[in-house]
Amino acid sequence: MRAQPKASRARTAETFKSWLIMLPGLILMCFFVWEPLFESIRMSLYKTRNVELVRFVGLDNFISVVTKDDFLQALQNTFSYTFWSLLIGFFLPIVMAILIGETTKGKGFFRTAAYLPNMLPGLAVIILWSAFFSGEKSGVLNILLSGLGIPRQTYLTRAEWVIPIIILIATWKGAGATTLIYMAGMAGVSAELYEAAAIDGATVWQRIIHILLPAVRKLAGTLLILQIISVFQIMYEPMVLTKGGPDNASLSLMQLMWQYAFGGSMNYGKASAVAVIVTLILLLMTAVYSYFNRKESDWD
Amino acid sequence: MKSIQRTGVIRDYDMHSASVRAGYGLILALCVLLVIVAVFPLIWVVLAGFKDLKEFVSSTSLLPEKYDISMFTTTWNQLGIAKNYLNSLISVVGSVVCALVFNGLLGYGIGILRPKGYGVVKKMVMFSLLMPTTISIVPLFMNIQNLGMGNSFLPLWLSFGANAMYIILFVQFFESLPMSIIEAGRIDGCSQLQTFFRIVLPLSKPICAVISIFAVNAAWSDFLLPYLVLRGGDKQTVMVRLFVFSTEQTVNADNMMRSVVFSMIPPIILFFIFQKQLTENAVSVGIKG
Repeated sequence: MRAQPKASRARTAETFKSWLIMLPGLILMCFFVWEPLFESIRMSLYKTRNVELVRFVGLDNFISVVTKDDFLQALQNTFSYTFWSLLIGFFLPIVMAILIGETTKGKGFFRTAAYLPNMLPGLAVIILWSAFFSGEKSGVLNILLSGLGIPRQTYLTRAEWVIPIIILIATWKGAGATTLIYMAGMAGVSAELYEAAAIDGATVWQRIIHILLPAVRKLAGTLLILQIISVFQIMYEPMVLTKGGPDNASLSLMQLMWQYAFGGSMNYGKASAVAVIVTLILLLMTAVYSYFNRKESDWD
Repeated sequence: MKSIQRTGVIRDYDMHSASVRAGYGLILALCVLLVIVAVFPLIWVVLAGFKDLKEFVSSTSLLPEKYDISMFTTTWNQLGIAKNYLNSLISVVGSVVCALVFNGLLGYGIGILRPKGYGVVKKMVMFSLLMPTTISIVPLFMNIQNLGMGNSFLPLWLSFGANAMYIILFVQFFESLPMSIIEAGRIDGCSQLQTFFRIVLPLSKPICAVISIFAVNAAWSDFLLPYLVLRGGDKQTVMVRLFVFSTEQTVNADNMMRSVVFSMIPPIILFFIFQKQLTENAVSVGIKG
């Protein structure tokens, strides 16, 4: 009878010590991740001066941010980034994974080479590519295209070109990592399945359409939503490459947030309002996606 | 005939068909093209580094007129990049230590100790994976300012101790460890902390290596928070410096390209040493970004 409370006290002590071990990590997660999330919601409702909250203003920050022309432009641009990123960046890694997956000799080399740009610092990549798309006659693309007889172009001052160009650069850097994820997914398909299909007379093309692609459909869905979340936060790429120009044609929502906060005016309240809007849009899109995804799996 | 192991859609007997053989040739050609697209910009930026300003802005040749390594050493000395390299090194080392210790201990709690209520923490960590990260940079910066940690490496180091992805990787690895070994240690009288350092950590070298490699690269490449914390001070890292160059346009285009080369050297060295670990584990780490 007496052993009972003793054992339970020992268990309580164990639990306490376990939480003590987790405590440093928990404090850091609170400080760097969880608290700032709530803080940004709170700050968006306050008028701020430097790092101080001056007074509660309700939705004033949101109204003031949303009614400015640059917000609508940035919102439209951010959706445009997402559109181009899905058009270019979503399908390319699938194609690359199929291509590399079919090779025999040199597969490891192709994989490694495809992954290399992913290791490079994002900032350095953007600066490097700015020289490629330079409008001068010494711009790399102009040099390459002049060989084909195409006259000099100024790429980054054309409103209709900047967003696709920025997405191209982001895809150059990121596609290799996604390719490796697809390759891992595709490696899970048993070779016997292809053999059986081949015996039934399925061509290589039919095997890709009816066996390989369905096998990575779920993975593609997950990667799609992750890609949208990530491209929706695009910020430093236009900041460094075009400063949001020409005439705000590449200004993104997160860049607008950065401008409010660190662009001289130090308006942290309005910056947080933009951040909250971006978060809400992302949550909405994630919810819509999981709703349709559930529907779809009901049919299966 | 030597048989090649085919793991893809195309099977060996398909290769009897001329059209499949042609298609396979096309696949190889496209893969070679892919390698060229991936590598060409890197080779170009090194070549461009040999050009002086006049040549860089006016030459229509991809190759430099002459290969003089002093172009690089002059820029290195003039801009004082050595100091930035040292700062980056300090930042990277502290970040990796924090990434291993804090995420490792939290992962140990969630994956092995599992005290009452650990499920809530696990859910919150999983949730943080889905949350956009840049969103919270404004309040985070304010918190750092309020604590008087501006112009210090400390907040940058500690920020690596709060990485949901690394925590999940640790948890997944710890959950795969044989519980019997851990329990044996407990019976032998090891405390929870001793069990972690004497039993769990030595078994976890593979995951620690993977997280270290990715943390080194992430800490080296990071520049938004470091810029806000370190700008204007004497602790600027290579990436902060490069960001300042690009926003304030205080350096010429040719020096800029050489600085880009300097910033890429450590990640490329890291890549060539650890390419196997990197490409094998990109799947688990990459799923986030």
